[in-house]
Amino acid sequence: MPERRIYLDHSATTPVDPRVAEAMARSVLQVFGNPSSVHGFGQQARAAVDRARREVAALIDARPNEIIFTSGGTEANNLAIRGVCEASVAHGRHIVTSAIEHPSVRGVCAALEQRGWEVTRLPVYDNGIVRVEDVREAIRPDTVLVSVMLANNEIGTTQPVAGIGAIVRERRAAGQRHLFLHTDAVQAAGRMALNVEELGCDLLTISAHKLYAPKGIGALYVRRGVKLAGQNIGGHQERERRAGTENVPGIVAFGEAAKLAREELHERTTHDSSLRDKFERKVVELIPDVVMNGDRYQRLPHLSNISFRYIEGEGLLINLDLQGVAVSTGSACSSGTLEPSPVIRALGVNDEIARGSIRFSFGKENTGEDVDYTIEVLVQAVERLRALSPLNRPLAVS
Amino acid sequence: MSYSAAFKDHLAHPRNVGELPEASVIAEQTNPVCGDRLRLSLAIKDNRIETARYLAYGCPPTLVCGSVLTELVTGKTTDEAKQITRIDLLNAIGGLPSRKHHAAALAIEALNAAVSRLL
Repeated sequence: MPERRIYLDHSATTPVDPRVAEAMARSVLQVFGNPSSVHGFGQQARAAVDRARREVAALIDARPNEIIFTSGGTEANNLAIRGVCEASVAHGRHIVTSAIEHPSVRGVCAALEQRGWEVTRLPVYDNGIVRVEDVREAIRPDTVLVSVMLANNEIGTTQPVAGIGAIVRERRAAGQRHLFLHTDAVQAAGRMALNVEELGCDLLTISAHKLYAPKGIGALYVRRGVKLAGQNIGGHQERERRAGTENVPGIVAFGEAAKLAREELHERTTHDSSLRDKFERKVVELIPDVVMNGDRYQRLPHLSNISFRYIEGEGLLINLDLQGVAVSTGSACSSGTLEPSPVIRALGVNDEIARGSIRFSFGKENTGEDVDYTIEVLVQAVERLRALSPLNRPLAVS
Repeated sequence: MSYSAAFKDHLAHPRNVGELPEASVIAEQTNPVCGDRLRLSLAIKDNRIETARYLAYGCPPTLVCGSVLTELVTGKTTDEAKQITRIDLLNAIGGLPSRKHHAAALAIEALNAAVSRLL
């Protein structure tokens, strides 16, 4: 184990905030009742869940009764897409989505495609951003759902969801009443201000473990009036949309994390972006042949995705890990597939650039010294791997 | 996935990196599926491999297999080098998960390509 350990993978998950852990521990030890029980123990748990629901709703400026707790972002995305498509099947079987969605959206859309739905996947061009006019053109009379993420998990680009929301509302006002907009805001929550009215979305996914809370808890915002077919059957919980006894300690932790994320949003985003910007300046200054992936401005404040030419991402990742620095990569080997990241490929870059991409995602516990150390080991690792690479050396005829 | 100590050592301190200006033979193999590439340069005197150098692009197992291969072949006769198998290489690394065995296969292909050019 290296002496120094620096975590720069906050887009994968975040360390649990001690304040969140304390709230959760209190709940685990003291609030064990079933929120569906009528007695005092149950009502104590119900009150804890309701308090948390208000905090999660406040994070996105929604009403508490529009929040459905789930086991995380993946379940929320499944519930949103399957739930809307199954409830609206009489009105159409067409979905509009983007080419860079999280696998939990991509996978559900592909599964529905197998069952007869049609899916239009919009391109993102070289900046990693969907164009609003493409959404307008893609919506058909039989479209029931538009699902475009608010911020991408690999390159951090933020998508014009408010613009898409305006189009969806326009179409609804024109008579297409069963058209809904879902956005996966798992990466955006806690990193930018969220307001479901301004976004104009009907469904929105968030996950607690990206907000310094534990894994295993997430939420789906469902605007009042949206028809949604529940996917977990067998109980009345979460307004019949997600049966199963609530994960009370997880929900309490999520509530505390949402409150802190809202209260500390400015402080956290300013901190993260200053570290990220310092890091990027140093990379460009000290390392030649790098490619910054995704739009430089319309993106999350904490994330940097960089391709290092002539080297493959996993080799760099492991080299950094041996020095105590944790990052992630879009290389094929790392994901266990043979194809490099579809997100980086969607930017129109070649395989070599896609395979050499590394995501650095900063968080509130990182410091300026962390950036300095990371740069130091990164420069050495890139030099070492480039010295090994045949890609920048033509093969002499032997 | 956890790698062996030998693996990590080769990754952090790759041996015999580079090319030989006076190489007797240079062979490069590319995995057409994933794009991994390995270039092997051998300096041979009196039918014996005196020096080996390698360059590699790809996932860590590919980089490490190149490094370990150069150690395995150095000092061997070309006939002895031809006998080195994927399993020998995997054993020298301390094993690899089966989905990474292609890295060892690529290194052995590069060795075989180099040696066959001498014939």
